[in-house]
Amino acid sequence: MTTLTTTITEVLRYRGKIGQWSWVLHRLAGLGTLLFLVIHVIDTSWVAFFPELYEEAIAIYQTPLFTIGEFALVACVVFHAFNGLRIAIFDYRPEWWRHQARAAQIVYLATFVVLVPVFALMAQHVVEFYTGRPLDLQLGLVFNRVVVPFGGHVVEFYTGRPLDLQLGLVFNRVVVPFGGGMILALLAGVLLSGLFGAVSGRAGLAGPLLTRRSRLEQVLWGFMRVSGMLILPLAFGHLAIMHVIQGVFSINQGGTGLAASFVAARWAYLGWRIYDAALLALALIHGFNGLRIVFNDYAHHPTVRRGLTWAAVVGCAALIIVGALALISGVPGM
Amino acid sequence: MKAHFRIRRFNPETNAKPYWQDFTLDNVAPADRVLELLHRIKWEQDGTLAFRRSCAHGVCGSDAMRINGRNMLACKVLVSSLAAEGAESVTIQVEPILGLPVIKDLIVDMEPFFAHYRAVMPYFVNNDPPPADGRERRQSPEERAIFDDSTKCILCAACTTSCPSFWANGSYVGPAAIVQAHRFIFDSRDQAAEQRLDILAAPDGVWRCRTIFNCTPACPREIEVTRAIGEVKLAIQMGAERMRARKMTRGGTE
Repeated sequence: MTTLTTTITEVLRYRGKIGQWSWVLHRLAGLGTLLFLVIHVIDTSWVAFFPELYEEAIAIYQTPLFTIGEFALVACVVFHAFNGLRIAIFDYRPEWWRHQARAAQIVYLATFVVLVPVFALMAQHVVEFYTGRPLDLQLGLVFNRVVVPFGGHVVEFYTGRPLDLQLGLVFNRVVVPFGGGMILALLAGVLLSGLFGAVSGRAGLAGPLLTRRSRLEQVLWGFMRVSGMLILPLAFGHLAIMHVIQGVFSINQGGTGLAASFVAARWAYLGWRIYDAALLALALIHGFNGLRIVFNDYAHHPTVRRGLTWAAVVGCAALIIVGALALISGVPGM
Repeated sequence: MKAHFRIRRFNPETNAKPYWQDFTLDNVAPADRVLELLHRIKWEQDGTLAFRRSCAHGVCGSDAMRINGRNMLACKVLVSSLAAEGAESVTIQVEPILGLPVIKDLIVDMEPFFAHYRAVMPYFVNNDPPPADGRERRQSPEERAIFDDSTKCILCAACTTSCPSFWANGSYVGPAAIVQAHRFIFDSRDQAAEQRLDILAAPDGVWRCRTIFNCTPACPREIEVTRAIGEVKLAIQMGAERMRARKMTRGGTE
């Protein structure tokens, strides 16, 4: 862990070029997206197992805190996707390296260019939700009508309803189950790590491992790049439908309808279930392997490292199972 | 011109922690190299200042340090490249390279770095008897060209200690060792490419490279370091023979 502090301070002090900052942002964006993904898989599975909870979850997503989070999430996904593409290109075509700095600039530019209209559209959904007035889709009007009213509506929303109730709801429904799940995954990881050590007789990963070829690392290295390219269209499509073309507010018609019926209507098509299943599996494995890589960089104690690695494996497997069960069983009674 | 130096000092016998010390030099010329100025500080102001240097001409690779935030060879950096044009004074910050234990002031323990270097079999392996005419093992200019770049490495550690993956985890084999392996993996006369690739495909081998590109500008010999690492990654996946052929058809050094 000490090297995590060193890395943070020295990344700020070492005058690396643009690639260093792209790497920092890539990690932060990836971890941010994974955090949301974990919450999102759990809450979406509620539509199959606890439909009333799902309605609450969607209501929580419509609170200002999560609205801000939604904007951050979309920014994270877009940057991570474009920068990941850049990394994959230069990993498979290392002879093009002279163009990497320009490519990094293009990544920032492309992220910005994509986010401006996307944020404008998302802001429009926010305004529609708070005012109950549909706005026309002209982007030029959005800036005039959004930026100032938004702040006012946030205040109005909180002063209209007791703040502590909102936070209490978020705590009970989000923080408690989420934190509990993380602790369970960690415990399971340590347990599995111990079992693995007892069965294999290996003392964990200590010291330089330069003795044997790791097929697993090689396969995962390729998987990260290939899955990234597959996730890119899937995730962009998903975000476009759920966050841009329509907002999270339309899922339950701004609180007047049932979110579950929206999901049921979507899952009535097998194609959507396959789409969601592909995104679920690819994004979770990609995300948790990224998390494992970060653990691997900064956790040096063999037992800690192996425990965290297994926690990532357990977390990933648990969420894939939960998500798959929800996708298979569908919305009850619909 | 005046030069204001800010140097990271550490004496293990008296200091618990490293600290910064300031020095000022007069009569500094734009064509002076940082190494010469460090000498002036040591000879004229503070004889306890410790740093490594040997050839002082960018060949031996012993004076890599972090100068104004970036890894460089002190003997290759001119004051003019650190100062604004026509400036009356220049500020130069010097600290040891990062990720290796500091022994004293700007001197680090290079042993972990050399241990990684030795791990990749950085020597020529060919078990065939020498050619009957008793002369050299032949190689075409094209075959030589594909590893020409990685022969230039002087093992100064500027690349390895600029790498955030190496800062994070000192067991990562590091850019320099991979460049040294590249020099033999892509040599048509060598016979141990697959063994080296087995070593570099280990968990602490090339997979710890995240394609950050800090190593490439850090190299005082202008080796295309990140490219070499990328080519080793591809050689692991497609085999040394095929990757060599790919490099031959796409031209050696671009």
